[in-house]
Amino acid sequence: MLVRALHLKDYRNYHTADIEFGGGLTVIVGGNGQGKSNLIEAIGWLAGIGSFRGVADDALIRVGADSAVIRATIESGDGREQLIEAELPRIGRNRVQVNRQRVQRARDLLGVIRVTVFSPDDLSLVKGGPALRRRWIDDSLVGRHPRHDSLRSDLERILRQRNALLRSAGGKLDADAEFTLDVWDSQLAAVGDALRQARLDLLGEIRPHLTRAYDHVARRAADVRADYVSSWQGDLGAALIGSRRLDVRRGVSTVGPHRDEIELSIGGVPARTHGSQGEQRSTALAMRLAVDAVVRAAGWSPVLLLDDVFSELDPGRARALLEALPDAQSLLTVASDVPPGAAPDHVMRVDRGTISVES
Amino acid sequence: MSYSTSVQELIDQLGRLPGIGPKSAQRVAFHLLKIPTDDALKLAAAITEAKQRVSFCTRCFNLSEGGEECSICRDPRREARILCVVEDSQDIVAIERTKEFRGRYHVLQGAFSPIDGVGVDQLRIKELMSRVGEEDVEEVIVATNPNLEGEATASLLLKFLQPMGVRVSRIASGLPVGGDLEYADELTLGRALEGRKTLAEGEN
Ligand SMILES: [Zn+2]
Repeated sequence: MLVRALHLKDYRNYHTADIEFGGGLTVIVGGNGQGKSNLIEAIGWLAGIGSFRGVADDALIRVGADSAVIRATIESGDGREQLIEAELPRIGRNRVQVNRQRVQRARDLLGVIRVTVFSPDDLSLVKGGPALRRRWIDDSLVGRHPRHDSLRSDLERILRQRNALLRSAGGKLDADAEFTLDVWDSQLAAVGDALRQARLDLLGEIRPHLTRAYDHVARRAADVRADYVSSWQGDLGAALIGSRRLDVRRGVSTVGPHRDEIELSIGGVPARTHGSQGEQRSTALAMRLAVDAVVRAAGWSPVLLLDDVFSELDPGRARALLEALPDAQSLLTVASDVPPGAAPDHVMRVDRGTISVES
Repeated sequence: MSYSTSVQELIDQLGRLPGIGPKSAQRVAFHLLKIPTDDALKLAAAITEAKQRVSFCTRCFNLSEGGEECSICRDPRREARILCVVEDSQDIVAIERTKEFRGRYHVLQGAFSPIDGVGVDQLRIKELMSRVGEEDVEEVIVATNPNLEGEATASLLLKFLQPMGVRVSRIASGLPVGGDLEYADELTLGRALEGRKTLAEGEN
């Protein structure tokens, strides 16, 4: 898959921008705040229906404008071109088109463009709390099987409903509360079991790639593992009934996939608490590379978006990452120079929202 | 900048309407102030007129114009033995368009949604149960929306109705998931009614 062209209107600091991209490695050079990351963030938006930097949609609209537009021409593996367009208005719902045909829900766009994003924040996948790793596995799940997006959104909605119901019970579990909880518990059990199973299956696919990618980036063999630790055993429906008394008292749901954890370890030692900074960085890179490899093995060819990742890496790891990257269209932003060891096919410069092509 | 009291009052009132946020309320308010006085008064009169003439049917809670009971409940040709339960009156309009359904309706006036403060007591479930007890209802078709809250409402109704020995069915899937009944086209909705699934067999 190739992103052939990108058009932006009133997106972040861009009034308008029209950029053509070639295959291979494109290095986008620009100082802080010049808008280089906004370019790949916009492509990432079309792939994931949202900013990979975790920014709310209305913050993506240029100050003073009513709506932002992202339009991209995509070439799929068989040479077919698709025109994808998203309009993000300040008021009202996002409008998304594929080949000038309106798609009903923005979520229907998932899977049309596939990307693998590397960002400096990735270190928090290893060092941060379990919510970040759950988000990693769920994002990866949607990247692998876009239809699983509904599992995640259903889970969020069911939990909000169940928690509101728990709080309305006022701390006591009477017959009425049990009666109505049954309804949401059966929905939570169905979605929760399916989501956990999907995560486990994906983690099974990821594991061999994770070990290989880690060894490559860290340049030594280490037994890096990602283990799924579930908040319940056996049937989720039964576990939910068992936790009701506690849940009503606390006003939150204490078991379910939203309480599960993915534990990362290197040579049997927890990476989060005992890994060195270098080991943690290698693990984070390996997690991104491994998911990318899984999606590629399934026959897709994601575009690699590397957002200023080399500033954080020592030269050895930077070189190892460059070598480990698959042969795919890659858009790499850097603050000053083309990183050593990189052989870009194209170089662009971004200066205060103006883009010039150097080669 | 702050608006005069009457303009602010108009914005506040509009902002209470469903689906209208503060910004839209402002836009609509200024639109109303710009249009000819006659047109604005026509809108006000239409609201007053509708509010005076239209009430909720005392039997099924559908909208009713000119009577305690709605036109469907008053129609002797409608079968009492099949009752179709919907979330809102708009859903009745959608199902009537299919011309597939000859029974009567019951409007819950919402769906089971704790985050919106809607639980068993806010829905017309007690009234539904007394109807099932008193009228000759053989089957209750649950035609709530094909989304999470609609499904939750359906399982809630099943829990209430199953012990009463009435047959309970659910309109078939095939409707766009996550959508609203009122947006489904006639053909799809007709098929969904036709292909309804039995959730509980009745006792007779
Ligand atoms: Zn009626």
